[in-house]
Amino acid sequence: MIRRHPGLLLLPALVPTLLLLGAAVVTLGLQSLGLMPLVGAPRLSADAFRSVTPDLANSVGLTLAIASAATALAAVVGLGTALLVTSSARSARVLGLAAAATVPIPHLVAAAAVGLLLADSGVLPRMLGLSAEQWPDLVAGPWWVAVVLEYAWKESAFVALVVGAALATRVARYDETAALLGAGRVHRLRHVTLPLAAPALLIASTISFVYVVGSYEVAWLLGRTYPEPLPVLAFRLFSSADLAARPEAAAVSVVTGLVAALVAVASLLLARWRQQVRA
Amino acid sequence: MTRLLLVAWFVAPLVALALWAFADSWAAGSLLPDDWGRRGWDGAAGAGLWPALWRSAVLATVVMLLATPAGAMAARALVRVGTRLRAAAAALLLLPAVLPPLTVVLGVDVLLLRLQLPAAIGVVTILVVQALPYTTYVMYTTYLAHDVVYEEEARTLGASPARTLVRVHLPLVAPGLAAAAFLALLVAWSDYVVTVVVGGGLLVTLPVLVASNAGTGNEPVVAVLSLVAAVPPLALLVVLGLLGRRSRRQPVAAAIRPRPPVAAVRP
Repeated sequence: MIRRHPGLLLLPALVPTLLLLGAAVVTLGLQSLGLMPLVGAPRLSADAFRSVTPDLANSVGLTLAIASAATALAAVVGLGTALLVTSSARSARVLGLAAAATVPIPHLVAAAAVGLLLADSGVLPRMLGLSAEQWPDLVAGPWWVAVVLEYAWKESAFVALVVGAALATRVARYDETAALLGAGRVHRLRHVTLPLAAPALLIASTISFVYVVGSYEVAWLLGRTYPEPLPVLAFRLFSSADLAARPEAAAVSVVTGLVAALVAVASLLLARWRQQVRA
Repeated sequence: MTRLLLVAWFVAPLVALALWAFADSWAAGSLLPDDWGRRGWDGAAGAGLWPALWRSAVLATVVMLLATPAGAMAARALVRVGTRLRAAAAALLLLPAVLPPLTVVLGVDVLLLRLQLPAAIGVVTILVVQALPYTTYVMYTTYLAHDVVYEEEARTLGASPARTLVRVHLPLVAPGLAAAAFLALLVAWSDYVVTVVVGGGLLVTLPVLVASNAGTGNEPVVAVLSLVAAVPPLALLVVLGLLGRRSRRQPVAAAIRPRPPVAAVRP
């Protein structure tokens, strides 16, 4: 049976995925359009979207700003780490291990750790001998510094892992060839190493960006209460005592999902375009 | 120098955790805790650390046991089916990694409530679907490099399908299975939003406990809870790394490769 129809083996994974995502998308659509209210009669309307619009504009901007800052920082630090780890085999092992150890730490735990490090009563101001008044508001402050740094920390380790894996198998051979042909360090970095790292860097950065856009707990724990990133806004509306806020929570969730999906699609198109340009 | 700074970047938050976890008292001006001890550990135990650790371990194990075989089967199918079905199925199976977990969980919560399923079943289902993109992807790359010749050989020599699966197929894909299982475990172990929304606060896993204690101002307790949540995945990573190194030295394939007939090696 399975030998003749190997597609049957897809079912244990495909059926729950389809059911769950289908149910989520349909429910969110109906709820956000007023067709599935917890109280009152169903009525097609864009009221939910309209009533969250003032907050939504702020939230989309803030979400994208946090994701951009964190991803940019993670990409730079992660790429640098990957280059160091792959270039010098033995002495950089400690760095490789430190980065690898950061990857499996849960984000919520990482956020708690960053809080303990950067709060005004945290470890860093103590080590620098600064009092709470001298220390800037990194946690829950106006610039979302602790939130951005938490994502940048965790995701830089992820970027280093992905880019490092892509470089590890191929870079040494090409690098040696280029060196034999007389290319200097800067030239080798620009024309050999970076082009080899670019596809992996793009994929890893996209995954990080999409993750940050949809993630709740870090901004909730380390951020301030207003304005809110999209997931924090959605969750607050969802758990609000006012049942009429449920359609609004659904509307914000729809927007969050759309932003995440758009970023993923844009990056996919960028990768394909890059491939075509080179071919 | 750059290297040192980067190492510091990666370990600084963990150092903060470790210091706070064993600090009994730490005055505002001091460089290091004034008093070391286990106040944080007693406080964390009182907050329910050990039952939460147990719940997290059970949840992660169940999700791993479901998501790993399902992902492996799907991956095995993906390398065999036609290109059209492969593209469509792969896109669908990767979708849960793109859609934010919070979006999915806020969508299905009403349905789960109406179906009146036990919360644990809802949490496990959602987390298995969240883990499937990772297990499927890892097993897909494993099966791309996998040679079915060994299995066909075993069947020709008269091994039953079950015996072939256990003695030939599974040992060959074991490294991929281990990586896939680790990722599935990690998805469930790290989850906060799914557990807290669907579990309604009644299913208290380690991350839920960390979240409810963070911001209470009791740093040693938060540090202990976080440390206990961070150590098991790290320990598993070390174990997997050591196992991987051993199996690279002794490839499984070598063990099942047909030995030369005894007569041939006799002088």
